[in-house]
Amino acid sequence: MSGNLQVLLLDDEPIVGRRLKPALAKIGCEVEVFENPEQALIRLGQKEFDVVVTDIRMDEIDGMQVLQFVRERWPRTNVIMITGYAMMSLAREAMEKGAFDFIAKPFKPDDLRRVIAKAARALGSEIDFDAAEVEKANG
Amino acid sequence: MAEGPPQGAVQPTPELDEQAAEVAEVQGRLGLARDAEQARRALLSRPRFSLRTQIYLGSFLAFLFALGIATALVVSFHRMEGKIRFLEIVNDYVVEVEQARRFEKNFFLYDTNLNDALDNVFRAENILNRNAEELAAIMGDNWRTAMLPNLQRYQELLDKLGRQGAPSPSLSKQERLRLQGLVRTQGQQMVSAALALLSKEKTALAKVMVRSRQLLFYSMGILLLFMVANAYLLGARMLSSINRFGQYAHRIASGDFTPVTPTRSYRDEFTELALAINTMIEELEKREAVLVQSHKMRAVGTLTAGVAHELNNPMNNITLTAHMLQEDYDELGDDERREMVGDVVKEAERAKKIISNLLDFARESGSQLEPLDLPHLLQETITLAGNQIKLSGIKITFQTSGNLPRVHGDSQQLRQVFLNLILNAIDASSKGGRIQVLVLPADEPNYLAVKVIDSGSGIPAHILPSIFDPFFTTKGKGKGTGLGLSVSQGIVAKHGGRIMVSSQEDKGATFTVVLPVTTIPAELGAKE
Repeated sequence: MSGNLQVLLLDDEPIVGRRLKPALAKIGCEVEVFENPEQALIRLGQKEFDVVVTDIRMDEIDGMQVLQFVRERWPRTNVIMITGYAMMSLAREAMEKGAFDFIAKPFKPDDLRRVIAKAARALGSEIDFDAAEVEKANG
Repeated sequence: MAEGPPQGAVQPTPELDEQAAEVAEVQGRLGLARDAEQARRALLSRPRFSLRTQIYLGSFLAFLFALGIATALVVSFHRMEGKIRFLEIVNDYVVEVEQARRFEKNFFLYDTNLNDALDNVFRAENILNRNAEELAAIMGDNWRTAMLPNLQRYQELLDKLGRQGAPSPSLSKQERLRLQGLVRTQGQQMVSAALALLSKEKTALAKVMVRSRQLLFYSMGILLLFMVANAYLLGARMLSSINRFGQYAHRIASGDFTPVTPTRSYRDEFTELALAINTMIEELEKREAVLVQSHKMRAVGTLTAGVAHELNNPMNNITLTAHMLQEDYDELGDDERREMVGDVVKEAERAKKIISNLLDFARESGSQLEPLDLPHLLQETITLAGNQIKLSGIKITFQTSGNLPRVHGDSQQLRQVFLNLILNAIDASSKGGRIQVLVLPADEPNYLAVKVIDSGSGIPAHILPSIFDPFFTTKGKGKGTGLGLSVSQGIVAKHGGRIMVSSQEDKGATFTVVLPVTTIPAELGAKE
């Protein structure tokens, strides 16, 4: 697979997107950040992403609906769910419905990078996860 | 709470006294220990008039009355005995005198001697002398002048006549005839006087007997009336007390823990019961306080899940920001670093706020009464349950009609009641459900109503009457204690209000809390 890994990140907390966009860019991901699930769904209708990272609990449309939408529209896309600590049952439900993996808040940027690298591997495209590591070591 | 004005800030006005009275009244309703002590003193300060005393007194009076009757009867029997004895004496006397007259007649007709007649007169005189006391008792002192002189005169006449008898007829025939006439008249007079006395005394005796019979009947009747009245008074006293205590029991069962105060001007055995009930009320109140607190901690437990979840967001933001700051520190410009540190500070503040709401609610605090802005209190409560509401994916709407009067109460406890209703509504609703909270004037004047309306599964009609019972729950094992509504009802009852419920199966339920408003104008309380 050529080019960068296409990632859509959906979380209604703006800081999440602000911090993760550069963090994921470092490992060669092209990230589109959304805070509003409706707009994210519109975008998902237009473009096939490699990986979709979505929060499970949001006000209007929740992560489960996003998961279902993506599973139907883009079966190849791996969906990673962000869950709250207290919602393991919901995470399990998401896995049953075809989520690739889940990650519990609060998490470190590396935690997500690792899961995304796993998802990329599953898609057959190796991600240079170490790029960030090397940078960190240099820094 | 921030708006709760200190009462000292209000200018001293006549209304302040009214307000103080209101506070006192509500405090009274909340049944403080001080009230219990006051009630105890008031109960004991009255003079004692026990039931036992009343029973003893009633019986003693009945005994005295019976004693009076018995005495009267004894006296009247004694008088009857006297009269009978008198009648016997007079009768004996009459027999003797009549006998004497018979001999006297024989003397005149056949010229027999007069000694037998004199014998009889002597015996009659003896009877009179022997029974002088009895005669005096009936006839008074004049018996001597009435009877004895007549008898003596008769005796003298007989004596005279006897001496002039046949052996020495010295007396002229004429003189003899005169003496005979005198003797006859005297004898007749004596007999008729004695007979008249006899008949008079017989009538008197009959009268005394009738009177004593009447006395017996009447006094029995009066005694009966007295006993009935005594039993009635005693019964009325006991029954009224029992009824009163029945009412107390109902009142206490409904959650009103006001101590029993004196209703009568004396104390008795029921006072001890009242004191025992007051002790029980105090204990119940302590237990209720523990129950309220433990139930509150359960609500805190429920809220904690939501808070823990809600905390994840600022925690996550802080974690991500701090890690990225660490990772990219050298490449980042000053502005970017400042922005990131600012984010950390902001998110830490947000985390603090999420917890402090819950901590404010969880804090154990004494009962504090203040004028409360009910819509504001509801808004706070909804915020408190906010995480739970978000977590459950439920919409909550809050409406209030403006300019409502204040309610006097304990904000902590009332918040607990409303939180309980909202958490119940959340439990009853499914995802995407809707909860409506309304604050509005109640149907009855001077009351406000808070309605919590859910569109959940509703409450089946057959369990509707028991939902306020302690330990009644429809939630699964380990999920509900069945104390929420019971505790809430207790709190609301103490505030002088009540909780009502209406529900249709599959159409949700409406819980209405009705609370009395304070008589202080809202503007006065709102002045800062």
